[in-house]
Amino acid sequence: MEYLQFIIIIIFSPLIQGLIKKLKANMQGRVGPGVLQPYYDLIRLLRKDMVVSRVTSWIFKATPYIVFASTVSAAMIIPIITTRSSFGMMGDVIAVIYLFAAGRFFMALAGLDAGTAFGGEGSSREMTVSILVEPMMMLSIFTAAISAGSTNVARIAETQNLFYSPPHILALSAFVVAVVAETGRIPVDNPDTHLELTMIHEGMLLEYSGRYLALMEWAHYMKQMLLFTLAADIFFPIGIDSGGAPALIAASFGIYLCKMFLMACAMALIESARVKLRFFQLPSLLGGAFVLAFLSLLTYIMIGK
Amino acid sequence: MMEGILRKAKRTAEQGNEVYLEVAREDFKKSCVFLYEKKRAFLRLMFAADERETGGEFKIYSVFSVPGKDRFYIVVLPVEEGSPTFPSITSSIPAAHWYEREIRDMFGLVPEGHPDPRRLIFHDSFPADSHPLRKDWSLSGMDKKEWGEGTAGKVPYRFMEVEGEGIYEIPVGPVHAGIIEPGHFRFSAVGETIFFLEPRLFYTHKGTEKHFEKIGFPEGVRLSERVSGTSSFSHSAAYCMAVEKAMGIEISENAKAARTLLLEFERLYNHIGDIGNMCAGTGFAVGYAKGALVKEELMQLNERITGHRYLRGMNVIGGVSKDIFRHRDDILSTAERATREYKEMMKLILGTVSHVERLENTGILSREIALKLGVTGVAARASGVNDDIRKSHPHLLYDKLLFEPHTMAKGDVFARMMIRAEEAECSLSMIDALLESNYRGDLTVGVRAIPPYASALGYAETPRGSVFYWVMSDKEGRPLRVKLRSPSFCNWPAVPFAVHGNIVPDFPLCNKSFNLSYSGCDM
Repeated sequence: MEYLQFIIIIIFSPLIQGLIKKLKANMQGRVGPGVLQPYYDLIRLLRKDMVVSRVTSWIFKATPYIVFASTVSAAMIIPIITTRSSFGMMGDVIAVIYLFAAGRFFMALAGLDAGTAFGGEGSSREMTVSILVEPMMMLSIFTAAISAGSTNVARIAETQNLFYSPPHILALSAFVVAVVAETGRIPVDNPDTHLELTMIHEGMLLEYSGRYLALMEWAHYMKQMLLFTLAADIFFPIGIDSGGAPALIAASFGIYLCKMFLMACAMALIESARVKLRFFQLPSLLGGAFVLAFLSLLTYIMIGK
Repeated sequence: MMEGILRKAKRTAEQGNEVYLEVAREDFKKSCVFLYEKKRAFLRLMFAADERETGGEFKIYSVFSVPGKDRFYIVVLPVEEGSPTFPSITSSIPAAHWYEREIRDMFGLVPEGHPDPRRLIFHDSFPADSHPLRKDWSLSGMDKKEWGEGTAGKVPYRFMEVEGEGIYEIPVGPVHAGIIEPGHFRFSAVGETIFFLEPRLFYTHKGTEKHFEKIGFPEGVRLSERVSGTSSFSHSAAYCMAVEKAMGIEISENAKAARTLLLEFERLYNHIGDIGNMCAGTGFAVGYAKGALVKEELMQLNERITGHRYLRGMNVIGGVSKDIFRHRDDILSTAERATREYKEMMKLILGTVSHVERLENTGILSREIALKLGVTGVAARASGVNDDIRKSHPHLLYDKLLFEPHTMAKGDVFARMMIRAEEAECSLSMIDALLESNYRGDLTVGVRAIPPYASALGYAETPRGSVFYWVMSDKEGRPLRVKLRSPSFCNWPAVPFAVHGNIVPDFPLCNKSFNLSYSGCDM
């Protein structure tokens, strides 16, 4: 049973995306599409024919599968509703981050592959951002990992206590910035823009269509939900099941959905309240978050839990 | 002061505020440069007309006016068919550079000494030595087919190239991801920094001026409304003004008030919508939604009082088609609500520091460049050029209304937003002032036949800048030539200067702050 918990991510991730879109629309005074719209979009894309540029290589065709597979693998490592995770022994947070990095690496290659200006721009910007985000994300997780004495996400989730200490709050702030950057949201990237020149994540996907685009989009939804789950596991593990009794798992599932809803609200709020930063000011934001993560580690070592 | 030029002129004619000075070829450039440098006059527009049916020659007109003086000096140069060239004034008056290339494309009159020998309007598949605005123009069947298909590269266009280490080209468009009109932008960038930008426009050239010649003057009103959607009313008001002047009729006070009111309505909904659109450039969704909301309310008011959201169908030669003053209460209550919501919106936008921060120091257009390129409207005023057609050449009821053109010195995106904000407030108070009094007269006055070979200039200040129409009738009183100059035609060349040194992702924001029309430029 617990081996199958990653299916929750696959099934519910478009819903989270739809929810964020709906909440954002409501906050901005619009009605917005229904929360199920991402499902319809995926079904529509899966049915559609693809247009693939003649100049692309195998990388372009392999990337959607690599990105999708690496994201599903990450989903298998992270405990979602029970810490008796699918692949518990190897369920290492560093592995999660590098699975994401592998997906991103191929996505950036695919952006370059078709040789269009926007793809190249997107790839170059994505790499610039990821150089700044990755270490910051690692550092913010390390605070929790040190206090748990393990980099295994399940162990971290089990050992977190419910009272927040300064190191945790600092690490959480840094992690939220990392999530915003990794999911391509305002103030780092604008997911709703049609302006090719300003795109980061979307720029890399511009050449994709049909089934490939569906895979890429779905992987992106899953990555977003995984990052939310990771945040819940590390910083708000309250309510997560560790025993395996069916009733407790059901309760844990309910609590998990509530957490996801709150995360979606937080994202929609950040996106509605903020403006996209000028590209060259991103290092200030991400660098600032890195300092927060570093401080969190430092305070942890100095004052302890 | 003007004696020098007047003496040199072979023939002068004065009608209303237009002074026509016909000069000899050797005096053409001197006269233009005198007006531009000594009198600090702006080059308002420059065009040619095929007047071979009257005197066997083409004529080049360059229209100047000094801001603050209601007088147009129109330097006229006859060009004989046998030697179709004229001295280029671009090297001294850079604002003429597109006009002269346009004349070369459309009439085959070559500006001698023009620095840019490339075609401007026509794309590669259009045949060489084919000049549509000549009266005797025709296309062979094969040419027409190839032109329609757009595949044959008859006259290749060479983009300017920037060479150097680390410079790469980013071609953008003409097909864009958003639903916007076609335009191609060729960036030369160093990393993310824009080093050079060359726009290539005129993808949707519709031959509007040629079309005006085929239809009668009264039908032309409907065509002028469709040149540029968001400036429909200003365009038709300027066109009607030109035709009415050529007819020698004066519209009633009532019609004047209605036109003034609707011009301000058009400015208001555009400015508010544009301020909102600039929020989309920074990803500020709440500001964008707010702007769209207020704009929509104003456009619904447009529909209630005129029957059309873009105010089409209101202008007719000789006046206006509907009495809008019977909707006084509706206008007042909507304007009041719009004012309140607009103020809230500006408070929100100016209170969002991260948004304002993106606008400041982005896309700076210097006053010097703005003056040299003859930039008009909001873009000019934001760069410190105090020029507003409503003030420089008062028409309709603008001489009775109290207002001052707003200018700002900086010339950045923020300045362009603030000029719009101040003008929107100004428009609101003008609307209130216009609704206070009652106006006499019928909606329309009787239309007269246009005398043969009569010409006149019409103008208005659109939300983007000044628009000019120059009309001339043939011997039957039908259109011989209709020249239209939209503000976008003047302002597009300035965009590359404003984006130089900015980063590529900021281009859409700079572009939105100018909010230029492709359709209005391509004509």
